[in-house]
Amino acid sequence: MRKISIRVSTTAIAVSALLTGAAIVSPVSAQKRVAIGATETISSHNPHGDSISMGYGIWCQVYGCLGYFDFASGSYKGMLAERWEVDAKDPNVWTFFLRKGLKRHNDGKELTSADVVHSFWRMKNDKQSRQTQNVKHVAKAEAVDKYTVRVTTKKPTAPLLEFLFDRVMITGKDLYDKHGPRDADRKFPLGWGPYKLKQIVIGQRIVLEKDETNPWATAGMPNELIFRVMREAEQRVTALLNNEIQIAQFIPPHLAGRISNASGADLVPTSSVELMFLAMSPKFKPWDNPVLRKAVCHAINRDGIIKAILKDQAQRLDAPIGPGQYGYDPKAAAAMKIDFNVAKAKEMIEKAGLKGTKVALSTPVGRYVNDKQVTESMIPMLKAIGLDATLKTPEWPTLWANVQKGKVPFYYMGRGGVVDPSPAFAQYFETGGSPRIGFSSAKVDSLLQKERATFDPEARKKIINEAFAEIVKEQPACFMWRHKLLYGISKKVAYTPTPTGRIWGSDIVVK
Amino acid sequence: MLQYIARRIFGTIPVIILISLLVFMLVQLAPGDPADLLLSDEATPEDIAAARERWGLNQSVYVQYWKFLTAALQGDLGTSFRYADPVLLMIGDRLPATIELAFFAIIIAIVFGIPLGVWAGARPNSWVDNVGSFFGFFGISMPSFWFGIMLILVVSGFLNLLPSAGRSTYGIADDPITGFYILDSLLYWNWKAVLDGLSFIILPAIALGTNMLGILMRVTRSSVLEVMHEDLVRTARAKGLSERKVLWRHAFRNALIPIITVVGLELGTLLSGSIIVETVFSWPGSGSLLIEAINSRDYPLITGTVLAYTLMFVIINLTIDIVYAAIDPRIRFEK
Amino acid sequence: MKTLQPWLKPKIVVGGVFVLMLCFMGVFAPLISPYDPNAQDLLKTLQPPGWWGSEHFLGTDHVGRDILSRIFFGARISLVIAVTVVLISGVVGVALGAVSGYFAGRVDFGIQKLVEVVWAFPPLLLAIAIVAFFGQGLGILMIALIVQRWIPYCRVARGQALSLRTRDFVDAARSLGASDPRIIWFHILPNLLQAALVIGTFAMASAIISEASLSFLGLGVPPEIPTWGSMLADGRTYISTSWWLALFPGLCIFFTVLGINMLGDGMRDIFDPRLKRSGSGMG
Repeated sequence: MRKISIRVSTTAIAVSALLTGAAIVSPVSAQKRVAIGATETISSHNPHGDSISMGYGIWCQVYGCLGYFDFASGSYKGMLAERWEVDAKDPNVWTFFLRKGLKRHNDGKELTSADVVHSFWRMKNDKQSRQTQNVKHVAKAEAVDKYTVRVTTKKPTAPLLEFLFDRVMITGKDLYDKHGPRDADRKFPLGWGPYKLKQIVIGQRIVLEKDETNPWATAGMPNELIFRVMREAEQRVTALLNNEIQIAQFIPPHLAGRISNASGADLVPTSSVELMFLAMSPKFKPWDNPVLRKAVCHAINRDGIIKAILKDQAQRLDAPIGPGQYGYDPKAAAAMKIDFNVAKAKEMIEKAGLKGTKVALSTPVGRYVNDKQVTESMIPMLKAIGLDATLKTPEWPTLWANVQKGKVPFYYMGRGGVVDPSPAFAQYFETGGSPRIGFSSAKVDSLLQKERATFDPEARKKIINEAFAEIVKEQPACFMWRHKLLYGISKKVAYTPTPTGRIWGSDIVVK
Repeated sequence: MLQYIARRIFGTIPVIILISLLVFMLVQLAPGDPADLLLSDEATPEDIAAARERWGLNQSVYVQYWKFLTAALQGDLGTSFRYADPVLLMIGDRLPATIELAFFAIIIAIVFGIPLGVWAGARPNSWVDNVGSFFGFFGISMPSFWFGIMLILVVSGFLNLLPSAGRSTYGIADDPITGFYILDSLLYWNWKAVLDGLSFIILPAIALGTNMLGILMRVTRSSVLEVMHEDLVRTARAKGLSERKVLWRHAFRNALIPIITVVGLELGTLLSGSIIVETVFSWPGSGSLLIEAINSRDYPLITGTVLAYTLMFVIINLTIDIVYAAIDPRIRFEK
Repeated sequence: MKTLQPWLKPKIVVGGVFVLMLCFMGVFAPLISPYDPNAQDLLKTLQPPGWWGSEHFLGTDHVGRDILSRIFFGARISLVIAVTVVLISGVVGVALGAVSGYFAGRVDFGIQKLVEVVWAFPPLLLAIAIVAFFGQGLGILMIALIVQRWIPYCRVARGQALSLRTRDFVDAARSLGASDPRIIWFHILPNLLQAALVIGTFAMASAIISEASLSFLGLGVPPEIPTWGSMLADGRTYISTSWWLALFPGLCIFFTVLGINMLGDGMRDIFDPRLKRSGSGMG
């Protein structure tokens, strides 16, 4: 979780520049190639054409982005932006100060504020952009001078960096103007990041090559980074043990043993920032009855499932979020905990006259770690408290479309990318956020609005927890766990994966 | 004959248009929305509405279809929602991988399936028949997704002989000419790349071809078995031809009709089967493309890929009918 | 005893025993199953086969269900699916194929256009569309499987009928004034049955396997109904660590295919007089 090389203090730059210099002089092992077996891949040459986590990571290493969230310190760090500030008088005005003297791959053009402004514009207006949501809070971005960009938001937005840092790729305005979007992306994919884009074969692999002159390029990091698409878990494990790849993403819990027993590779867990939950929409009968929602939360044996099916590779969630996520407070979380209590749940169901109520739990298949197995095991638990429960396994696009339209009363789902919980909770629990759960509470709404307008971190965390407590009281969802994501790492490299699923070449050291 | 072929080709045009209409309606009516699926989890309803507008999804299906059809007739199948590339280009990129895979799968099926079937059919109930049939049943009852994973585990994993995923190693091949990796490498005389390509294609080709092998073996066996008792074989035998000549020159030749029919049918199944095998082996072909397109409800890409498949099926069927006529002059196409 | 003798060939006996056993398993599943096929036990997940005298003869699956009981109940559903799908698609396919090939010309053209349109559809897309519209269910699944499965019969039958219609014995029947339906029924159809039987015997397997593939995509039968296909699809996840999950349903499918094919082969030896006459000389 240490992000040694993309740290942006002046000394670090000086050090890495030194290291880079050393790398050029000394004949380091010429080809240090690290291959990564990934489940997902970029689907477009356009750096704004994807919104998958891994893609953000890849593009940020090629084009460069303003900054990133550092999990080790729990704070934001700059990359292309040296520093940033919020206007003391007007919380809508943010200023980003770019690092000076950054030279682009091949042609050496310097990064300027015009490029940043252009990138904001392109993300919003490119027909193929799949990242418009990241700039939706931005009313305008303008260049103050060559190295300063002023961003004005529509409403005061405390979690702005969550959107603007490693999700906004900074691309060259000159290349776009000269060659047009298609050729700029395909023929001139040049940027200010530590890696050059060498090859994209969509559906097969992405190859990055270290730019030795880049300030973030270090001697230890691989010269070549190959992201290979390997969707089958068995395949990733096999390839890792064969040394076909050195890093294998997302090992399901039941295959963990194959790696930990092998001599050539280690199993490295990382907590994820994906919240798994059971959603119960109060819009539908019988879920409008809070007693039923609460009883269901008491009925699920989360520890039992984590042990038997997830093989201990998950962290139980007592509060809506867990350790490491922004605003987590262990004391507040302990107060929100819901115990596993079949007798109580059964009694609640009986008293409310809900015995024998038909409920159908919908689950995706193969989208989350052991999702079908997990939900299969919940059915007898729901039956045990007197509900007539069945499991539905619709095809994902169908399920997701219905969830998004608010047509599924009871489902198992995950919400990924929750570093700062603000966007996710507004989306699921604020009135008008989205129809997914169909929950509406004036109190929760006002707390979530207040949280977004509060810039003092401590005060904001407190309000976030108040909102959580209110949600847990109403229980439109049972928060289950966060999966520990397992990576298989060859003994030939040292790497600590990050919870966001982005893989930084600068974090990999070839032994 | 030429007239027949011309008429057949002309006759496929309405079929293709009909299918394009069906696919278009089907994908639009099926639940699921590309804007929901392709935008990030954080997209707001406004983002989704904007994407729908951009992709022309807010127009009526008929208007959309008309636009699609007129563009398609000018050689433009639209732009993929997910990959932001012209559909025609994407299919051109991916289809050769699938054809290459299918080609090797068929070779495997034919090279093993037909001789096994002929021998088994010539000597029913002998040990050749029993062993051959066992393999045949094995092939028929083996789901490709299961067999594929077994191959990865055993051949790449346990024996460590062949790579487990993908189509090529980075940095060996030259720029593509035809898109057929092995053929391209041959054209460059790049033997290292040829071997590399072969090492990647063997496992998926076996996984894909095994089912066809089994079916082919069984069908060949039964056709040969039947023909062996017809007069022409008895006549040939009576003429004193060696058993081997009787078998291959007469019996096999006359058993060809059902065999070719099945090969033709199975080619279709094979192309569909490639969807699963390509997913298991992360083979970058049009089958895995189609499944990704379906999973993201990428309407133009689904329609385009299905049409490409349709065209191949139609060509296969036509070829088979011509082959029928060539090997069995008794077939008359006009009443 | 003498009349029974041709039936006592090893093929028929072995194949028959397999098929009877499978039917027995399916029919008497509730009586012979040691456990409720859906009863879970999270404390006893992924237990290896314990064989005789243990709690779970074939072990347990990922949520602790007894595999043997699921195999028995699975036999029911899987066999129902296979038989229904093969029968309906076979009858439809052979009938259309015979008509198409016999009449040739316009009729053939029309039917073959239909075949082309249906066949050119990627089956997965069609299945998704059907299941998405009508919801998950056993009946829906069978419809999704039948929609395209009649085509192989139709194509093969047509190919043969095209060839048969010009043969002497058909010409002879025609010159004697036999009507078209009569010729199709008495002269064409009997000659198509062999090939249809061969297709049918392997189509059983492919129906069971397709059900597995659809289950894997979440489009199969609802998850509480155990089928061999869905067991195989679920077990595939655990293939390298808990082999028994996928092996036993896989073996069941294999033996079903084997049994049905052996029985089919044996029956043909008996019923086909041509084979009987000269077949002995070949064996």
